[in-house]
Order: sequence, then C-alpha cells, then structure tokens
Amino acid sequence: MTPLHKEFGGEKKIVLVGCPNVGKSVVFNSLTGAYTTVSNYPGTSVEVSRGHCQIAGEQYQVLDTPGMYSLLPITEEERVGRRILFEEDPHVVIHVVDARNLERMLPMTIQLIEAGLPVLLLVNIIDEAERIGMRIDIALLDEKLGIPVVGAAIGRKRGLRELRQAIADYRPRRATFSYAADLERDIQRVTGLMHGKYRLECRSLALMLMQRDEEVQKMVLAGEGERAAGIAEMVNIVVFERRVDLHLRISLERKRICKGLLDGVVSLREGGRPAFAERLSALTMNPWTGVPLLLLVLYFGLYKFVGGFGAGTVVDLLEGTIFEEHLNPWAIAWFEQHVPWYWLRELVVGEYGLFTLGVRYAVAIILPIVGTFFIAFAMIEDSGYFPRLAMLVDRVFKRIGLNGRAVIPMVLGFGCDTMATVVTRTLETVRERILATLLLTLAIPCSAQMGVILGLLSGVPGALAVWIASLTGIFLLVGLLAARVMPGERPMFYMEIPPMRLPQPRNVLVKTLTRMQWYFLEIFPLFMIASVLLWAGKLSGALGWLVDVMQPVMHLLGLPKETAAAFIIGFFRRDFGAAGLYDLQTNGLLSPVQLTVAAVTLTLFVPCVAQFLVMKKERGWKVSLIIFVVVTALAFSVGFGLNRLLLVTGIL
Amino acid sequence: MKCTFCEHELTPEMLREEGCGACMGGCRKIHCPYCGQENPVVPEFFDKLIKRNTRERK
Repeated sequence: MTPLHKEFGGEKKIVLVGCPNVGKSVVFNSLTGAYTTVSNYPGTSVEVSRGHCQIAGEQYQVLDTPGMYSLLPITEEERVGRRILFEEDPHVVIHVVDARNLERMLPMTIQLIEAGLPVLLLVNIIDEAERIGMRIDIALLDEKLGIPVVGAAIGRKRGLRELRQAIADYRPRRATFSYAADLERDIQRVTGLMHGKYRLECRSLALMLMQRDEEVQKMVLAGEGERAAGIAEMVNIVVFERRVDLHLRISLERKRICKGLLDGVVSLREGGRPAFAERLSALTMNPWTGVPLLLLVLYFGLYKFVGGFGAGTVVDLLEGTIFEEHLNPWAIAWFEQHVPWYWLRELVVGEYGLFTLGVRYAVAIILPIVGTFFIAFAMIEDSGYFPRLAMLVDRVFKRIGLNGRAVIPMVLGFGCDTMATVVTRTLETVRERILATLLLTLAIPCSAQMGVILGLLSGVPGALAVWIASLTGIFLLVGLLAARVMPGERPMFYMEIPPMRLPQPRNVLVKTLTRMQWYFLEIFPLFMIASVLLWAGKLSGALGWLVDVMQPVMHLLGLPKETAAAFIIGFFRRDFGAAGLYDLQTNGLLSPVQLTVAAVTLTLFVPCVAQFLVMKKERGWKVSLIIFVVVTALAFSVGFGLNRLLLVTGIL
Repeated sequence: MKCTFCEHELTPEMLREEGCGACMGGCRKIHCPYCGQENPVVPEFFDKLIKRNTRERK
C-alpha cells in the first residue's frame, strides 16, 4: 500500500468529512481564515471549498467536503466526498461529528479507519452535549479507537488549539475492528484473492464490493487485471449466500462495535436523566406503550382535529353556509337569468357543474378537511414520530411476510400512495414489491382520502371504528394470504431513528402551505376535469347508462343507485368520490350502515388514475391489471359482506 | 432542508433528479435518496415571506 500522507505540491492536505450540520464549515473557516476558494470538483457540479493554513510552521491545504453519511455513497455529494478521500492523498482526514449524536456518527469513523485513512476524530459541539448532561471521556475514546480524538466546540473557539496541535503531531496509527466470525470469513474469502496495490485497505474494498459499489468494482478491475474475474465470482457467491441480510449485518456489526467503543466513554451527568424526548421516543417504539400512544395521536390529531374541527366546524361554515346559502343560489340564479343555453348552464351550475360540484367539492368540502389534515400531518411529521411508527409496526409486518423496510412505503402511503408505490422499488425482492404494491393499492388511504373519510364518518358514532377495523382486518388478511401464496425470504429491517423534538411552528406552517399549494395545482384541475366528464356523461346519457349498469352491484351492497356516481368519480380521485358520499349523506340519502359500507368499499376500491399509471410503470401491465382486478373484486366483496354483517348484528 | 422522514440533509440539486411522473406541470418535490420520502419544495414566495418576517422580528 502506498503511504497516505505523502506531500503534494509542497503542501500536506487536510480533508474535512462528516454529516451535514456538524460544523464542518465552522472548522474549515477557523482553520483557514478568510482566504478560501470555492469551485466545482472536477467533472462534477458539486462545490468544494479549499483554503490554506499554517500549523507549527508547516503549510497545509484544507478541503471541506460535501456532507456524507457513509463511505458507501448514495448521492452525488457523497460520491464527490469519497472521491476526494480516494484521490487527494490526505495527510490527515478530520472526521467531524456532533457530540450529541456520537453513536449515530461513529460507524462512519469505523469505515474511515477500516479504509486505512489517516483519521483524526473531532467530537464537535461538545458544549451542547454537556448542557444536556452528557459527559464524554475523550481520552478513553482516543485509546479505544486507536486514533487521535479531540473534543471541541469550534463555534466557540473551544478545542481549536488542541485540534491544531493534534494535526501538527499527527502520526498515522492502525486499528482493526473485528466483525462476527462468519462475516470475517466472507471478507477473508474476498481479500484473499486481492493482490493489487490500492490506496485503501483491501478489507474495506472487500466490504464495499460485497455491497455492490460500482466505483470500487472498477477500481478493483483496474488493480487486479486477470484476477478481477475470480474476485467478482467470489463476491457474487458471498452476495448470493447473504442475499437476505448482507447490508443489515454489516450495519449491525458496525453498530455493535460502536456500542462497545462508547461503553464507558459516554455517560450522563450524576443525577441526570435521559431527556424527555429520549424517554418519549422509547415509549413510542415499545408495543405496550406505543400502541396506546398511537391511538392518542389518532384520536386527538385526526379524529378530533380533522374530523371534528375540519370536517365539522369549517365545512359547515364553508359548504353549508357560504356555498349552499349564498354562492350557489346566486350563481344558479344568475345563470338562469343570463345564459339561455341549457348545456352551458349545466356545465357551470348544473348537477355536476364546474362551480356547483367541482369548485364546491374542492374548496368547501375537501380543502378544509385536507387543510386540517395537513396541519396535523405536518405536526406529527415534524416531531419525528413517523420513523418510530415504522419501528412499532415492524413486528406486524414480519408476520405478514414483509420486510420491515416495507414500513416506509406504507407510512409514506398515508401521505401519497402514488409516490409510495415508487418507493416500493427500494424493497429487496420482487415478492415484497408486489405485496407492498397490493397492500398500498388496497388498504392504505392517502392523506386527502383519509381526511375526507375521517370527516365523513366522524359524525356517525361507531362508523369510524368499523371503517378502521375493516381496513386493518383486510390489510392483515390479504397480507397473510399473499405471503402464503408468494413464499420467499424475509429480510430483516434496520433504520436510523432521528431525534424526537417539539414541532416547529415555522416548519408546520411551511409544510402545510406547500401541500395546500400542491393540492390546488395538482388536485383541483383533476376535480374540474372530473366535473366536465360527468357533465358530458350526463348530457350524452353515458353516465345514466353506467349508473344503471352498476345498479345491481350497488343493490348487492345495499346502497342507493345514486352512490354509483361517487364510485365512478372515485376512480379519478378517491377523495373526490368520498366528497360525493358526503354530499349524499348531507342530503339524507345514506343511512349510517350505508355510509359505512360505501366508505369501506370506496377506500378499498381501485386507486386513483395517477397511482394506477405509476403502478403500471413500476410493476408492468400484467401485475398491475391483476392487482386492479383483485382489488376491485375484494372491495365489492368486502362491501357486500360488511353490509350483511352490519344489518344482522345491528351494530350501527 | 432535511428529509421529513429520515432527517437526512437534502439539497436543491436533488429536485432535478427523477420524480414519479405523476405530478402535472413537473415535479415540485424532492425525493429523498435515502428513504424515498417525497418532501415538498418550499415555494420561493413562502420562503421570502418567512425570511422577511424573521428579519422584521429581529
């Protein structure tokens, strides 16, 4: 191996690496002063800052790399950050970490040491860590890691002198961290075949090869020549043998090593207790306390706020008072008086008119509901609750044969099913992707739909409970059955949990306003198009024919034939269909049982057009059409069964 | 800005990366490369408004 700290152009190089927001730039500015240059890294659009400094009479060039979370890059910035480490031949690599999140950031330190880079660990923002009661034994960490470690709060100039001294005194030391025996054996199988000269340690390259890193594959191909094929074959064997949990095992092993390293290094101040956020975080992920907490979030956040306030108070005001009592009568009267053409009157203020249906549904019914839903959603999201929810439901997912990673698209599906369908591509096996797509299509209502359904059902005692029970039951049943039909491996799940915090009003406001803007730009036009199609269908008789065709189905569900129109428009957007049900209910056309049956069936019914198109793009025509048919058949079968059950038992 | 799901830092450059194609008039969301979450991009208007308010308060 060539030395990593050789001089380049008379100046030794100091490279700063670390996650975003750990104070890298502050360290860079403190070391270099005012004279720095910012330019794109050659061949990329990623900016890299360079500056100079003199320490103990020696001149250094300092490079501030873009934020990176791991040596295995995902983004362009991380790729550039890694290229700098590979190509710039640093004298010292300063890994800047946030003292408060040492456990989360230390795995990257392990990766850097493993790669044979000349690492110096800078535990920054230590003042904040101390303020919350943490005590970090820097000397012990230095000893355990085998590299120089400096504790600092560079923003306050604390530790800067020690950092400069550590750079001046830097002498590369080697430390090795052992993984579990089986993993070590596999690393050995790959490194045993590597004989080329590399700047990085073969052990680190082998691990990256096993994780399918394309750049490292090219590097090894160039370094090994004819031997490369044999190495690739060995890597393929290892990857195949460990196809279920390779990435997870490596991450968990690094976590285990870090836990051991931090044992005795980080402690809480005497008498200090874990912060409230930490205790709450643990409670949200423990099934015994997490489920009641989830129910509380659902009850106050969604049922009371969205259902009670949004769908009750605000909709009553906008729809019941402003539209029904003032705007609609005025618009209809004006058109009756001034527009002689029946078709145009129907188009604007008719039964399915652009104003009387499209604008009224969008502005007076759905907007207040999704608006309040977006506020609640943004608050929950900003508190960091969703990753914890993912951990909480992971156990259930394992039962139904899904990788815990599928929790992510499922939770995201509550925001938008369309995007969540795209995210299913991150799942490791085809089986999991199909299963997750099916469940998303069937039983995960998107934010807009869930808001409207909540609003619709919150006025009928017991209806919401039946809706939730039906959806949960179907989700679990279909998941279990599908897992039986499509057996396969069940990979494990691992994810980093970000800190929990109080939602910031600014974030909640911005997220809510941004989503409202999205709603108006993307959903509102769809409502208008649906209104025009319904109007055209009414005038041409096609809608009447379709309603007649669906009448027997509606009859089987115990629903009046007018409900068919809500199902037809529900195909465009399910929330639009739900607004149709709202209209029918307020006009007294639906009993509590009928309302519940219609809401459950509509929720399970085919997804919106956008989701279907994305599903086709991701899974192909064949799978999409099968899912479409299965979901439609299931939705109506469940509706039929639920109607019978509710009538027999008299629950509602 | 940070991803609202996994808290990884996101950059505006990521907006140019592939969207799901479902949005009319182009993508206005950053799809987090780490977890897939779609993060709404804050419109310039809101951003300016909030910055102005913050300045005035100072």
